[in-house]
Amino acid sequence: MAVEVKTQELPMIKKIRNIPKDEMYVPGHRTCAGCGPALQYRLVTKAAGPNTILHGPTGCMYVANASYLCTPYRVPWIHCQITNAGAVASGTEAAYQVLIRKGKWKGELPNIIVMAGDGGSVDIGLQAMSGMMYRGHDALFVCYDNESYANTGIQTSPTTPYGANTTFTPPGPHVPEGKKLFPKDPPQLVIGGHPAVKYVATASIAYPIDLMNKVRKALNVKGPTFLHIHAPCPKGWKFPESQTIELARLAIQTGMWNLYEWEDGEYKYQHTPKEYKPVREYMKLQGRFAHLTEAHIAKMQAFVDARLKAPGKPVAMPMAMPRES
Amino acid sequence: MAKEMVLSGLAASAQAAKLAKIEVACSYPIRPYTALMMELAKMVANGELDCEFIHGEGEHGQLSVVLGAAAAGARALTGSSGVGVTYAFETYSPIAGGRVPLQMCIADRALDPPGDFGSEHTDAMSARDQGWLMGWAETPQEALDNSLINYRVGEDHRVLLPQFVCQDGYFVSHIPGPVVVPEQAQADEFLPPYKLPHPLDPHHPVSHGPQIRPDQGTVIDMQRAQAHLDTPQVIKEAFEDFGRIFGRKYGFLDQYKTEDAEMVLFIQGAHAFTARHAINHLRAKGVKIGLVKLRFVRPWPTQEVAEVLSRFKAVGVVETSTSYGGAMRGGNLLHEVRASLYDAPKRPLTTSFMAGLGGEVIPLAEFYWMAEKLSSMIKEGKTRKTVYWVGYESED
Amino acid sequence: MFKIPKEKEVPLGCITPAPVAEQPMMITGNWREYRPVIDNEKCNLCMSCIIFCPDACWQLNAEEDEPVWNWKYCKGCLICVNECTSGALSKAYELDFEDGVVRLEKPF
Repeated sequence: MAVEVKTQELPMIKKIRNIPKDEMYVPGHRTCAGCGPALQYRLVTKAAGPNTILHGPTGCMYVANASYLCTPYRVPWIHCQITNAGAVASGTEAAYQVLIRKGKWKGELPNIIVMAGDGGSVDIGLQAMSGMMYRGHDALFVCYDNESYANTGIQTSPTTPYGANTTFTPPGPHVPEGKKLFPKDPPQLVIGGHPAVKYVATASIAYPIDLMNKVRKALNVKGPTFLHIHAPCPKGWKFPESQTIELARLAIQTGMWNLYEWEDGEYKYQHTPKEYKPVREYMKLQGRFAHLTEAHIAKMQAFVDARLKAPGKPVAMPMAMPRES
Repeated sequence: MAKEMVLSGLAASAQAAKLAKIEVACSYPIRPYTALMMELAKMVANGELDCEFIHGEGEHGQLSVVLGAAAAGARALTGSSGVGVTYAFETYSPIAGGRVPLQMCIADRALDPPGDFGSEHTDAMSARDQGWLMGWAETPQEALDNSLINYRVGEDHRVLLPQFVCQDGYFVSHIPGPVVVPEQAQADEFLPPYKLPHPLDPHHPVSHGPQIRPDQGTVIDMQRAQAHLDTPQVIKEAFEDFGRIFGRKYGFLDQYKTEDAEMVLFIQGAHAFTARHAINHLRAKGVKIGLVKLRFVRPWPTQEVAEVLSRFKAVGVVETSTSYGGAMRGGNLLHEVRASLYDAPKRPLTTSFMAGLGGEVIPLAEFYWMAEKLSSMIKEGKTRKTVYWVGYESED
Repeated sequence: MFKIPKEKEVPLGCITPAPVAEQPMMITGNWREYRPVIDNEKCNLCMSCIIFCPDACWQLNAEEDEPVWNWKYCKGCLICVNECTSGALSKAYELDFEDGVVRLEKPF
């Protein structure tokens, strides 16, 4: 007699005073002071709650969180290789489907969440992530984006912005801009070709309620979902650690990061600026861009403008409002 | 009522999976093991097996999926062949060190380069240091039996290790042979339900695999080494119970016509089947030859190998795998045979025969040739050569 | 078979217990050079300090009318001071305090 697999329905958070009090990611981890990814970890797990199983591929959110022989995860957590978090989570999800069905485990299907860095999502982890999205597992894949392989000492990854100084893209006479390549777009990789995926969203630690509600929405949706979370890194991007949130905000205000949801083919936008600040405002605060010339900054501006304007691309340009004469 | 059927090795492995009531299987196609997954897919589609059948994105993905499933508390099975086995390599130590007892069915295939669908043992053997249990089947019956034995041993809380259950590609995996398929009640008596001490369970949160300091690494390595010291006892108990419940009594070493043998062939896998026939013919001619067949490569039965092989004057290790640059410049079994015998008070002469490589059969004539070499060794009282590439040696 | 000193023990399969309220094996309060100081008169309970701390070092008290600071784990990143909407939070040099962690005989 097969038991029906029931899933949780997490309510949306309306007011900041109503955020859940319980910490699922407790104090006592070796992340840098002011770490963006640590904050997103705290917010994601807070939104998810105790009926959760976390999958942590190697990266900052493994090595810095889980040292030494201890972790700050109040919910069950398993280390995965940087290559395979999507696949391991698929296995956990499959196990719970069959264990609940056979009556061997009682409860609502746990939130199955991958917490992967940008490399573990769209570089070395791309294959496993795509497999999980394709197979329709009822699980959430979170890509926390600090725009580099930070844990190993800041090397370039496919989401590192054009012009960034990393230890694999140092600027020099031969390569004045440092990084020549433009980044991959993780949510677009998922939206394009995975028919089982019904919900994809971007989020930022600058807007924590929006982030937590997107986590809950993604967990409520039956099937695989993908969240791309902007998580500035003071060490890698070279800015004072007290400015982490400020920079996350500025990224959105300059169009370097865009908040949107894609649900069943429809785009919705959040916190879209009425007027975009020039990208220079964002870049000048970060040491990783300090070597760039006007020409390079112009190239970055053009890239951002094109992404905002291009038809069919996800971000809406704000409409010019008619003036009262 | 146990059924007598005629099944290929992989069909027999599928029957074992059904008897074991596996809960998660992860597939990916590669010759020749694919047939296992095709059988399981049919069983799932027909409602014969209540199992989540996951289409892995590759062999590395397959192992990762079953790791998650097994760590979460489900009995999980996957499999591969050849370069598929080596592609998943990154996952083997994390799985064994994480003490996650999942099972991998390997139907051997020679490693690239280039493509070669024939069977060599090197694919699985190259992973023998990763901490898994590992052993070979000679027949489809053994493919089924070894699978059940490995679940039982691997999942025992004194062991908690994953298992490579291997069978030669094509020779065992595809050529049908007689198989007594046990009834479910027998399997249920032999194999308790899958239960981990600390699964991933929101009701009892734990963290699997935090980062450690280098000085903590030795202790983990010692724990893993200890597991392989504790495993043989568990295997012995499993052999006892298996014999009692299913009527087939296995041991670490199968001995065939060794009572008065002067020389033996030491072998694992499919070609033992042909070797037995060769031995029958040689015996008819008065040659005092026998066969010692290995069932478990890991944990290696050091004591048994020393005790049994010490009785003979010469041992010819048949190698269906390669260990380039190794001490003997041949295969990998001879190294461990010699290591087992080194401290024995009485040691046989030992040599090795590279045979059946590339997936070729080992014809009877080649076994006769090996016997002749062993005879010469005994006559001369010494080992002239430690590695013979059978069929390609210029005559002495 | 093996003799392992107590301080070098490692749980089987490297499976460790999950923490509940804090992880005392990784105390980080001794990292900071500056600490945030709150003037509760000025606080407007906007919750920014509580929500933006990566280390969850600001929590509402039981009466839910004051943020309370975690002396044991605060790394002194000062995000809270930077994000405070009412000017209630300011930074102070750790050495200026009697219980400044850099003064401790034994750093935890």
